[in-house]
Amino acid sequence: MHRSLLAHRLAPLIVGLLSVSLFLLIWEIAGSTETVRSELVSYPTQILSAFKRLILSGELAQNTLISLREFGEGFAAAIVIGIACGVAFALSRTIRYLFEPIFVALYTAPIIVFVPVLVVWFGIGTTSKSIAVFLSAFIPIAINTTTGIEEISESWVRALRAFGASRTQIIFKAMLPGAIPSIMAGIRLAIGRGIVVLIAGEMYVSMSGIGRLISIYSVAPDGVPEIFVLVAVVATFGYVCVLLFSLIESGLTPWRSHS
Amino acid sequence: MAQLEVKDLSLSYPGSRSGSTFLALDKVNVSIEKGEFVTIVGPSGCGKSTLLMLVAALLRPTSGAVQLNQKDVTKPGPDRALVFQDFALLPWRTVIKNVELGLELKKVPSAQRRKEALKYLDMVELGKFCNHYPHQLSGGMRQRVGIARALSVDPEVLLMDEPFGALDAQIRQVMGLELLRIWERERKTIIFVTHDIDEAVYLGDRVLVMSASPGRVIQEVKISLPRPRDLSLRNKAEFTAYRETIWNLLEKQVQANGAWRQDSALS
Repeated sequence: MHRSLLAHRLAPLIVGLLSVSLFLLIWEIAGSTETVRSELVSYPTQILSAFKRLILSGELAQNTLISLREFGEGFAAAIVIGIACGVAFALSRTIRYLFEPIFVALYTAPIIVFVPVLVVWFGIGTTSKSIAVFLSAFIPIAINTTTGIEEISESWVRALRAFGASRTQIIFKAMLPGAIPSIMAGIRLAIGRGIVVLIAGEMYVSMSGIGRLISIYSVAPDGVPEIFVLVAVVATFGYVCVLLFSLIESGLTPWRSHS
Repeated sequence: MAQLEVKDLSLSYPGSRSGSTFLALDKVNVSIEKGEFVTIVGPSGCGKSTLLMLVAALLRPTSGAVQLNQKDVTKPGPDRALVFQDFALLPWRTVIKNVELGLELKKVPSAQRRKEALKYLDMVELGKFCNHYPHQLSGGMRQRVGIARALSVDPEVLLMDEPFGALDAQIRQVMGLELLRIWERERKTIIFVTHDIDEAVYLGDRVLVMSASPGRVIQEVKISLPRPRDLSLRNKAEFTAYRETIWNLLEKQVQANGAWRQDSALS
């Protein structure tokens, strides 16, 4: 038992940690000994002290909170409206044919191009960024909800219909629960898209947020370590989001974990 | 008066060629008494499952009517509960939650729902498995959940669409016995569709023999075998005689329709 646990769960972790540590070590040596130009690539201890500076000045916390809020608002709306649109598409061909071209266009166009217009409409504050996040995130959620519902087993719907279930009951007790795996895949896709448009939007036109910090430090002298810190913060946020939704998914789909 | 009346029931689909129609059921008349166990046999494609779906009102007839207690059946409802060949359990619900489904749709309060569900789960001997998920159960156990779910809404008629068709031979026999035991206790009217002649004779008070294209009831065979029945019945002369009778009816019309080859290739 113990041996197999070690082999299956710990071994990959240990090897992974080793490779990351080795990478950091080489980077540190290469940077601190000026083998490569440290003002361009920085190195781990320098980045660590930049991290400390950003925390102590309060910049990091303040801007992270703003970005989190923008993302949270936009993404929550994307989940709710995305699922609602997805259901409407699955239920009505007319609605689907009416809106599908717009959706496909929005899905393929980079939402970042709308940010200047959104800023004109909603101001330079957080609202314009929330809406950009919403626009880029809700379409994959809607599309995956529709496909998820179309692919559910016909027998689940039949079982409910046989008991005389109403349309609403069929949606909430058969279609949506059955489509959860697909909806969750859509949400994972949407997280990546949402983060890209959020950071890019902030870098582009905004007063605050992680993206804004990145654009400030990208023109500051010796700003490279700070940029690395901020990139790490964004990457960690994305990772935590995906992890969180994976946990929610396995909580919602206990029948899929065949352990 | 009969509890369930099927009157001149026909159903036709648009055919493969434009303008043509395929007659799935042709003026089927059946009348079923309260508490009766009626089995329906017929070759594949004779419309026996279609007949059941029409009684459930999951399909609309082209003409004719289904009446339950002298009232026209127009939409699906818990007074006619279905048991499906593919079980049709919801994989994200535990066993007990699956059994509660019908009650939940009827908006029965949750405490009462639980109590009723447990009662029927105990009846099918799955009380201990109430918190399992369907994928953790065997096929036979899943169908017991399906039966408990159908019974939980206290239907007037239980409609069973080849319920043991997906199970292997031994489990089928055990399930048949269990169903008889439950039926003798609950005395629900049962319409049971099967393609297994033995099963039809063994379970039913009456066997409706159907023909294919167009789907018709060609004969009703009353089964006057004593109840309660058990597996030893299958070796008795009367049982074999009934089986012969039905087999002859089926063989004749299957050959007449030229569907013989197709049917044997399918099974």
